[in-house]
Amino acid sequence: MSEVITNNNEKSREALTALSQVNDPEIGLNIVDLGLVYQLDFDDENKKLYAAMTLTTQFCPMGNSIRSSAAVVLQQAFPGYEVLLEVVFEPAWTAARISDEGRQFLNR
Amino acid sequence: MTTTSSHTSVVQNTSHKVVLPFYAYAALSFLAATVLLFFSTSAFTQHYFHPQTLAVTHTMALGWGTMMIFGAGYQLFPVLIEARLYSNRLAGFTFVLAGAGIPLLVYAFLTFQFDWPAMAGAILVNAAVLCFFINLTISFARSKSQNVHALFVLTSVFWLFLTTLVGLVLVLNFTRTILANDSLHYLSLHAHLGIVGWFLLLVMGVGSRLLPMFLISKYDQPKTLWQIYYLVNGSLLLFVVLFVISHSVLLFALPVLLLFASILLFVCYCRNTYRQRLRRQVDEAVKISLLSVAMMGLPLLMLAILLVALLTAAKDARLVLAYGFSVFFGWLTAIILGMTFKTLPFIVWNKVYFPLASTGKTPNPKDLFSLRLFNSMGVVYLLGFVLFLVGIFTANHLLLQLATVLLVTTSVLYNVNTAKLLLHKPTVS
Repeated sequence: MSEVITNNNEKSREALTALSQVNDPEIGLNIVDLGLVYQLDFDDENKKLYAAMTLTTQFCPMGNSIRSSAAVVLQQAFPGYEVLLEVVFEPAWTAARISDEGRQFLNR
Repeated sequence: MTTTSSHTSVVQNTSHKVVLPFYAYAALSFLAATVLLFFSTSAFTQHYFHPQTLAVTHTMALGWGTMMIFGAGYQLFPVLIEARLYSNRLAGFTFVLAGAGIPLLVYAFLTFQFDWPAMAGAILVNAAVLCFFINLTISFARSKSQNVHALFVLTSVFWLFLTTLVGLVLVLNFTRTILANDSLHYLSLHAHLGIVGWFLLLVMGVGSRLLPMFLISKYDQPKTLWQIYYLVNGSLLLFVVLFVISHSVLLFALPVLLLFASILLFVCYCRNTYRQRLRRQVDEAVKISLLSVAMMGLPLLMLAILLVALLTAAKDARLVLAYGFSVFFGWLTAIILGMTFKTLPFIVWNKVYFPLASTGKTPNPKDLFSLRLFNSMGVVYLLGFVLFLVGIFTANHLLLQLATVLLVTTSVLYNVNTAKLLLHKPTVS
């Protein structure tokens, strides 16, 4: 799994499990193994979850759908939290972020 | 508190209501063109300036190729420039104007009468192109991301406008003397503005963006794309200048050489993209699109032979027919057959499943059409294409007729699969 910046490892694992339900519909691989998730920060006091993710390309026609699905699964995993999901392109996604499982999937 | 907010620079897609009519129109035009071809095989053993040949060519170039690109362009251009399309209303005008103008123009060619239907058709098509051009130009001017791919597209639309403008003048020249020569004289200018300026430039610009995306390729060389851009435009500008000022056939070798160089660079670009891909398994739609890149070689080879034939004053009408056929029914059709099933499933998926995403297991875009039908279409198409080319060179009516049956079958299979996509109803497990 590629590196995800977080301030709460336990909750981050939970969030990543939820996010791994979201697939890139074109590739058929989930966004966690694709390495699209950059950051997951939890503000337990104010009940806020700040998430940063990217897309394989800025031109991705499924970008809105992927973003929307990610926001929904995070909301379902952390009810009561306000989910602030941002799609960023800095740093740009590179293939180096794909997990070993993801690479195996693409090499099939 | 359970509110969800999202901050993003992801571009909003153009509404499917704008895009889908173009796809449907193009599919029906392909069917119409192949049926027309079925009833016009005798024209393909005669001179290329023939009513039926002109009708088939314009159904393919405008109804099939251009309408498809208008639709895909309205979908992809905002993605390329990372900004919204300027006007959905202008896009609607593009569809209505072109949709009305193309049948009038084809009818005029078929009956070879250049009175009001021809003029009305040509004016409507020009108005449609102008709407498309204005819409894309304003969208481009308003965007912050003005990359090489978008410039390819925008320049190609400029060339399209010149193509249809010359076409309008040629139509008028049939009934009143406007130009120094008859319309036949300007046919190669009109055709190459369209083939190279519109279709080739656009396919290169969009293809160089989509191919790495579909293959998840690490290859990215904007510098090469700029070189290709200057080579294609330089070649076309030189061709136009030579057409106007020079009568030396030999000089036309220069723009052809520049064109050769640009295509060679583009083929290398595609090959490197393919080699550096992360996704090992290439799906069928991308395979046909890659095949179309290789198929560019065929018309290019014929163009070179034609140039040599012109130099030796042995111009063969069969070669011109085969050249035109390999452009419209070969390279262009192959790329559209492939790319339709890489772009349309996403548009339909976004339309049907976007509101349902993450409410259950939704199918993938590639599951929205029949792969079996697609594969059958690919085989029948290639067979029909090759047989027709052989039929042109051997002037064999039976072969031509058999090939058109295969091409009609191709368009039927294409239409069935397109309808399956367009009429898709949601299935969530």
